[in-house]
Amino acid sequence: MAYQFDFTVIVRSLPVLLRGAALTMGLSLLAIALATVLGVIGAAGRLSRWRVARFLASAYVEAFRNTPLLIQIFFLFFGLPGIGIRLSAFTSGLLALCLYTGAYNVEVFRAGIEAVPRGLREAAASLGMTSFQSFRHVILPVAVRISLPALGNNFVALLKNSSLVSTIGVVELTFLANDLNAWTFRSFEIYGATALIYLLLVLLLVFVLRRVEGRLLVYIRRVA
Amino acid sequence: MKWDVVADNFFYLARGLEVTAGIGLTVMLTGTVLGFVIGFMRISGWWILRTVSLLFVELFRDTPLILQIFFVFFGLPALGIRLNPLLAASLAMTFFAAANAAEIVRGAIQSIPHGQVEAARSLAFTWWQTMSLVILPQALRRMVPPFMGLFTTLIKDTSLAAIIGVFELTRAGREVVERTLASFEIWITVAAIYFLICYPLSMLTQRLEQRLTAEAGH
Repeated sequence: MAYQFDFTVIVRSLPVLLRGAALTMGLSLLAIALATVLGVIGAAGRLSRWRVARFLASAYVEAFRNTPLLIQIFFLFFGLPGIGIRLSAFTSGLLALCLYTGAYNVEVFRAGIEAVPRGLREAAASLGMTSFQSFRHVILPVAVRISLPALGNNFVALLKNSSLVSTIGVVELTFLANDLNAWTFRSFEIYGATALIYLLLVLLLVFVLRRVEGRLLVYIRRVA
Repeated sequence: MKWDVVADNFFYLARGLEVTAGIGLTVMLTGTVLGFVIGFMRISGWWILRTVSLLFVELFRDTPLILQIFFVFFGLPALGIRLNPLLAASLAMTFFAAANAAEIVRGAIQSIPHGQVEAARSLAFTWWQTMSLVILPQALRRMVPPFMGLFTTLIKDTSLAAIIGVFELTRAGREVVERTLASFEIWITVAAIYFLICYPLSMLTQRLEQRLTAEAGH
């Protein structure tokens, strides 16, 4: 017997899917904020004068960029209890997303900081700024501006990657889609609709990032 | 700590690694070929080809790979297309790889100054001569680092096939964990195996990138 399509199931599932979309967006925004902070700290480490800081930062970057996110999620959730560290599914998922994207952000910020003209740093030093003041008030604002497009790509990747936390039972869009699929057996309709919702979320994020980019450029031009 | 579990199950993990390598290499090949086709469609003079390829690229780049795998494996049987987990994962990953490869191809070709196309045209080169003699020799070199970056990503992403039940490295690790309960040791080992494949690739990519930038500087 041929499969009978029933697209009304999408309408009936819409409240659940939209709740999932909101959860995915919330999780992603939280992870984006934390991964950005992690990226700045890591980049400062990569460019530090201390060899230990440089080593630790690059070890972090290489370890998290060269292993699958799924394995990192499994390691934090299933592996760490083996040495007595128990994290909830949500904490493990959020942490893995932050660490994974943070490692990519480090490289983006590092490249951005290195692209800041040398003269700016020298000018700041000749004004008597400490290296922290120069980093905070001169280097970082310019570096952020240079880094923004690449940073935006990382954020979009994070939004898509957040779907992987469903594998350890964190309730978000993909998790709820799996649930709906199990209740209705309407895989084509449910997964198709879910993919389209992700597509809309990604386009929304790209739109917002473009706006923020424009605003920030105006702001940075005013202060710098 | 039960590190002897790792030694005991090493060959089991190695069997998983074989499948991971198999899927990875297959998808690199099929994704690259399809990616070139779609990349050329993106810059075609024919608007239908441009629109279709743009939709393909956006659809597969702006949705999570895991949903693409679910859709192919659980959803396509509705259209009468039944694939086993290995084929479903490989097909979804091929589309995903092709969409990303297409953007690399398009970007590299469009990064060659348009004046060169005009120069070739004014020398009465055909489209194919312009491409094969002028544009591609330069563009192909620029594609190498991003393609290697994509290949690294693809190797990491083969782990997603485990979710629909494909026996590869991640699945093998999971089965060993379920049997031995040595979760910490096994997941660290599995991560290390992926690292040993991806790290050299990443290093090589960076090296090539630096060399290309240095050449561009001269």
